[in-house]
Amino acid sequence: MRRISSLAWRSLGARKMRSILTSAGIALGVAVLFASLAAGATMDAAVDKAAADEMGHADLRIGALEESGLSRETVAIIDGLAGASIAAPALERKTYLSASLNQTATAKLPPPVTVLGIDPVLEPQLHDMPLVSGQPLRAGDVQSALVTQTLANEEGYALGDSVTLNGTVAAGPQPFKIVGILAGDGSVPDAGGRLVFMPLASAQALFGTTGVTRVDLGAAPGVSVDELTGQLDVSITTQPFLLSRTADLAASLRTEMADFRSALLLVAAVVLFAGAFLIFNTLSMTVAERTRDVGLLRAAGTTRSQVMRLVLLQAFALGVAGSVAGVLAGIGLAALTLSWVGSSGPITLAAPAISGGSVAMALVIGIVLTLAASLEPAWRAGRIPPVEALRRGPQGAAAGAARLRWLVVVFGVLALAALAVWPTGAGGAASGVGSVATGSGSGAWGPLAIYGLLLVAVLLVPRLLGPLLRAGGLPFRIFRNEERLARSSLARDRSRTALTVGALVVGLAMVVALGTAAQDVRKVGATWLTETIPGSELLTSIRPLSTTDPIQGQLAETPGVKSVSPIGLFGVPYVSSTQNGGRSEKSVLRQEAAAVVGHDYLVDGRLDFVSGDRTAALGALDSGGAVIVPKSLADSAGIHVGDTMQFATGPTLTQLNVVGIVAHSIPTGAQEAILIGWPDALASFGVTGADFYAIRYDPGQEATARPALDSAATSYALEPNQLDKVSGTVGDALDRIFRLLDALSLIAVLVAGLGMVNTFSMSVMERVREIGVLRATGMTSRQVWGMVVIEAGVLGLVGAVVGAVVGLVVGALLVAWSSAGFGLVFDPPWISIGLAVLFGFLISVAASIYPAGLASRTSIVRALQHE
Amino acid sequence: MTSDPRLSPPAGVQPAGLFGDSASSNGTILEARNLTKRYRLGSRDVDALRGVSLRVRRGEFVALMGPSGSGKSTLLQLLGGLDRPTSGEVVLDGEVVSHLSDAQATRLRREKTGFVFQFFNLIPLLDVYENVALPFTIAGVDPRHGDAATRIREVIELVDLAGRERNRPDQLSAGEQQRVALARALVGRPAILLADEPTGNLDYATGGEILDELWHSCDQLGQTIVLVTHEARAAAHADRVLVVGDGRIRDEIELGRRSNRDAGPLIARLAQLGL
Repeated sequence: MRRISSLAWRSLGARKMRSILTSAGIALGVAVLFASLAAGATMDAAVDKAAADEMGHADLRIGALEESGLSRETVAIIDGLAGASIAAPALERKTYLSASLNQTATAKLPPPVTVLGIDPVLEPQLHDMPLVSGQPLRAGDVQSALVTQTLANEEGYALGDSVTLNGTVAAGPQPFKIVGILAGDGSVPDAGGRLVFMPLASAQALFGTTGVTRVDLGAAPGVSVDELTGQLDVSITTQPFLLSRTADLAASLRTEMADFRSALLLVAAVVLFAGAFLIFNTLSMTVAERTRDVGLLRAAGTTRSQVMRLVLLQAFALGVAGSVAGVLAGIGLAALTLSWVGSSGPITLAAPAISGGSVAMALVIGIVLTLAASLEPAWRAGRIPPVEALRRGPQGAAAGAARLRWLVVVFGVLALAALAVWPTGAGGAASGVGSVATGSGSGAWGPLAIYGLLLVAVLLVPRLLGPLLRAGGLPFRIFRNEERLARSSLARDRSRTALTVGALVVGLAMVVALGTAAQDVRKVGATWLTETIPGSELLTSIRPLSTTDPIQGQLAETPGVKSVSPIGLFGVPYVSSTQNGGRSEKSVLRQEAAAVVGHDYLVDGRLDFVSGDRTAALGALDSGGAVIVPKSLADSAGIHVGDTMQFATGPTLTQLNVVGIVAHSIPTGAQEAILIGWPDALASFGVTGADFYAIRYDPGQEATARPALDSAATSYALEPNQLDKVSGTVGDALDRIFRLLDALSLIAVLVAGLGMVNTFSMSVMERVREIGVLRATGMTSRQVWGMVVIEAGVLGLVGAVVGAVVGLVVGALLVAWSSAGFGLVFDPPWISIGLAVLFGFLISVAASIYPAGLASRTSIVRALQHE
Repeated sequence: MTSDPRLSPPAGVQPAGLFGDSASSNGTILEARNLTKRYRLGSRDVDALRGVSLRVRRGEFVALMGPSGSGKSTLLQLLGGLDRPTSGEVVLDGEVVSHLSDAQATRLRREKTGFVFQFFNLIPLLDVYENVALPFTIAGVDPRHGDAATRIREVIELVDLAGRERNRPDQLSAGEQQRVALARALVGRPAILLADEPTGNLDYATGGEILDELWHSCDQLGQTIVLVTHEARAAAHADRVLVVGDGRIRDEIELGRRSNRDAGPLIARLAQLGL
């Protein structure tokens, strides 16, 4: 055994360059896998931390669904629950620092601050509030505040300073004395660290409300969270509310990121697949090259299993070296990935979490994949008949069908590995980046289908190789002689060529597919907004503006402005009926809703009605008692025009008639909003005002009217956003993620490039004598160089074009899964695709430079003596 | 003596029938002057050639004969411009081969030499026609049209492979493959044809056919040939045999042009020399 292993090491050492390139290929695949696992673990840790920060030690959070918040009566009921030992109410609102707003009255609005009104005694019992200086809030404090260290640093606050906050118009700006500075960012993840804590009564006075936005509960000893939930359901009947616990919050946050993690894993699987091509090709070449050695060993009494072990040992050594290097490189890649992503919603991603589990997982997958890839060559080596091997010497092309069957085995190994590390909750989100990249709502099956499609494409390549090579050779016809020889050389070992080109195909296909999907996401985002917002500009407010607020009228008077349409976003407790075993069961679900002015849509002409009469439906919204439903909800909940939707808004249900179904509605996070008229929103759903105004300009007046309107809006603390810029910002954020996935996919192309160096080198070695003959017959060394480079050019062109075509098919599938029925024309980013094809072509040509140099420097005499 | 009507002789080469006494009336086409070749083998130097000088006349068939390791193949490689001597020079058709750059030597090979090797060395992916056409293809001449196509067809007929043009090397017997190699060497009408053990990989009968093909190309077309062999039977086809041993020309045996190519006189002469 020791001697066998020594032969294995020597064989690897004899072809150092090939061994290094192969290990590098494995390393790159494992690096992307490890980066994906480490990034996933980091996201998990960040999610848990964010959830724990937000919930503190509370067992349960009761959140208000209505904008007016939970009433005093509801809070009193919660406070009196037998199962609760602590009930800490809080009011959360956004506002502006008065000073910063005054300084920038005509410029861009400053970032808002989040005010958290708390009970100074109860809140610290459920939430850690570590201070870096000063003292905590105390019962009975008035006009005192704590600020976070981040806000203090950003605004230059010190202990004892006064922070003046804008409140309601009636209350006006109010000063608060900073009595303490809290460590870090505070416990509200989406506040960006700009937090001000004050006594609840002060906050309620500032914002002119008596409600609270949430109550955090600590369960009494011996009371379970389920029991507590049961008590709440029974006790609170007058107001809708939303219950959440730490695990729910973490699960919800995790779901938001699961698709991105799935996309990362899919890319990792693609890179590893490309790496597997490299391993298989390299070991196949080694076996072919060493046929005579193997024949000698077999003639000398070495058993088949010993020969197999010899090859597997080499693979194991390459796998271990590559996987260890891959994990090390993966740590750096994970750090780069996380710093590129930066943050995901409320989650801030820090340094990669390196766990023993992910290191072990990456190492095991890397080594197992390498061994899986080497099984067929090892088996083939064991089957070499000694006499045949000694008689015929090195066997270049062999076992094409077996090689392709092997692909399916490796595909299976990788698919199983991917399922083993698949993030929980993947595919749950209805929209977002990852869902586009991996097929929304399809869980692991979407990515597996894409992955399978790539496999089918690679399996088809050898069958179409002849015509493909002829087509790929067309641009090189001016080098008639070299092109003919190069193409012939590629056709010499079809399965090897197919495997080599296959790695390039899968890598480029992913790049092209992601580029196509990114383009579609951008267009969907833009189309969605322009199809559902009655105007070309949005003025957003950080707090609801009453429909009677004079701001709306003043804005409408700006010359060139046609209409100012108020839109309010809020959650409604939708009573959903489901059939279960013949019984109708009812449950209350949170549904996003938007309060709109029907008349404005009627005049503007937007909203695509798929059911119901447009004029009647929009008129009904303004009259009250009506709702317009997006098609996605209508389809999933079986809602039709004429049905009645019920909402648990209090002791009695609010009922609205479905008057229309629209193709798309206003997007709000993960859902499309149902559209409700302002009379119902104000009267039945506790909506206090508009969150933004949609501005429509007179035809041709937008350019001249906008500066005046924007200036007026800013003076009212409204942030102007042009619609195309809003969608552009969303698109930019998505592009950033897609660029990351693209960059990782390009690693697969790089791995394919390493495989090509090996393939072309092997090809040159196999043809040494031919090259000698060509040189003896009068071919110049430059022509020989050109022949190998053209061979690479043809292969690169074939791989790049096939990759682009397959990528377009995968991209079309992704778009079909994710474009949400906008009926957009399939519009791939041709320039990016062209660049990807060029990159694939250049990688292939670059991979041939070294082997071409070897070929052109071949000594004619030695070449002619070569066996 | 008439030339083969199927193929006109190479440019600048007179048919053998006009030569009369080739040794006296024709000019030298190939000359080697004091050639040496030293190889590095591990830590020691090996002298493959130790000062070889020779001349080959136009239309002459010369055999370099000697045992394995005598230096005959090395000498052939230097004569054909495949390798450079350590010292000395080779003059082929007036050009000093050993002083040429790689590109110039390549051009010289393309225009003035043809090679036939022991292992045929056909390009397996090209068919018979394409293999024979290789010198034209490399030179950038379209082998499917014009004079080139005519010449290719002529030379394929000459080696009796007409009708096999679309066959690939693996569909041919060893003898047929060597005939393709011979056709490839002749198609460019080279000033000199260099053959390195062309029968070494063939059975007795097939080897004899190839040697006859070579002799006919020399006799009927005036093709100058330098043949490397260790077999007396093969060397007996030559006009003149140079016996190579230990990196030197040990002897020169003049056989003259003989239609029966009988090996007896050569074997007897070799025996006299104690070889």
